[in-house]
Amino acid sequence: MLEALSSPFMQKAFLAGILVSILTGLISVFIVLRKMSFIGAGISHAAFGGIAIGFFTGLNPLVSAIFYSIAVAIGIESTVRKGRISEDVSIGIFYSVSMALGIALVSLSKSYNVDLFGYLFGNILAISWSDILLTVITFIVVSGFIIVFLKELFLSTYNEELAQISGVPVILLNSLFLIALAVSIVISIRIVGIILVSALLVIPGATARLFAKGLRSMLVLSCLTGVISVILGLFISYEYDIAPGACIVLVSAFIFFFSVIVKRKR
Amino acid sequence: MSSAIDIRDVSVTLKDKEILKNINISIEEGHFLGIVGPNGGGKTTLVKIILGLISPTSGSVAVFGSSPEAFLHGNDIFGYLPQHQNIDPNFPASVLDIVLMGRYRKAGFLRWPGKKDREKASECMSMMGVESLRDMQYSQLSGGQQQRVSIARALAGEPRILVLDEPSTGIDVVGQEDFYHLLKGLQKKMNLTILMVSHDIGTVTTYVDEISCLNIHLYYHGNPLGALSEKVMTSLYGKNVDLLMHTDICDKCERLRP
Repeated sequence: MLEALSSPFMQKAFLAGILVSILTGLISVFIVLRKMSFIGAGISHAAFGGIAIGFFTGLNPLVSAIFYSIAVAIGIESTVRKGRISEDVSIGIFYSVSMALGIALVSLSKSYNVDLFGYLFGNILAISWSDILLTVITFIVVSGFIIVFLKELFLSTYNEELAQISGVPVILLNSLFLIALAVSIVISIRIVGIILVSALLVIPGATARLFAKGLRSMLVLSCLTGVISVILGLFISYEYDIAPGACIVLVSAFIFFFSVIVKRKR
Repeated sequence: MSSAIDIRDVSVTLKDKEILKNINISIEEGHFLGIVGPNGGGKTTLVKIILGLISPTSGSVAVFGSSPEAFLHGNDIFGYLPQHQNIDPNFPASVLDIVLMGRYRKAGFLRWPGKKDREKASECMSMMGVESLRDMQYSQLSGGQQQRVSIARALAGEPRILVLDEPSTGIDVVGQEDFYHLLKGLQKKMNLTILMVSHDIGTVTTYVDEISCLNIHLYYHGNPLGALSEKVMTSLYGKNVDLLMHTDICDKCERLRP
């Protein structure tokens, strides 16, 4: 086990993984309570379009993916708010079109195959110090946002109209939350990959909800589930040479099902 | 007595569909108004206009003389109970947490409710008879208890107008009478203006001071007994209505008690 910690790439993986799991743990609580898991899955798949833009133009794919995912998140939100189409339809269109755009751009670009699998399934070998820096900055900004607006997020999750009457700028807050969600998704892609990111947005929150007595305990339990999943998942991945994203998600799923059984027996 | 809410010529059209047409209602401060009518008759829309959540297509609303949108950023006029089905019954919070939400606005940005807010919350919980449940999980309560907790939450913000949207959903009939009785008590004790939306015209008439019968148009506004005429009922609900009347000799009618 300790051997895993001595290699520099695993140290980076653990550092990035723990930060990412705390971040998605916080976000996951609101995803679960606001019933937004489909939008999480939609944005993570749409991020593929943003990554391909990076491939095609030579920009850092994570940076182009951040901007692209934010645009998609706001796009989904605003088409729904204007009321012409329902949320599931909007998400369905945005994410499939983004993936199509991504595939088209990847086929056009010369770097085909180079890192594609790394983005789809996660590649901890590819984590650079600049990725770590991006992760740290995102961690500070997003967790800062959630801590500062915790009361307002809590109230608007309970009931949006009530929050509005209490003077919470609900539309602005929702948009900021979507931006936080989009950025957190992209940052997590290095570790777990596009296809599995949505698991980190749903499973920790769903597990925490089983035992949480209040919002704060739910936040703590959710982060804890995420952190344990990432640490155990990375060890298993290193030990048995299995894709880290898959290990992390399987561990978190195990924790979830185990929690369901424990909860039932109580 | 001054007028708490003044609704003048309010019409709402959404996607070419008329939701409300030429509504005029005035509510005195300290009065208890029931808004009744069939589903889809525009009751919830009217409530949202009064709260400033949506703007009418035409006409105006004044709450204590000001436009309700002005209150969205800095006032404590309204205590609001959203429709029961719009609240997650399994929301992870204790009863006290829920009631304290009513103090968030008073606590202010970046501040969590403090000692004074907790005292106010306790006061409101005991007023609603839920003080003993304070440390219980909201999700473990019955529908009726959850509604009482929600009212305690609304009262914790020290509102001047209490707005309730279909508060009796999820409460059994006996519970409903206790619940209305409690509201009536609040109205008298705190000189609270109460606005209650309900699709159940029968029981409501025995508690409210005035009633508005709404089905896109306002068919009736005034003394609750007057609403029970055949003409009003037919325009609201169609022809096949069985009416159970609470007349002036009815001893259940709290409205008539001093």
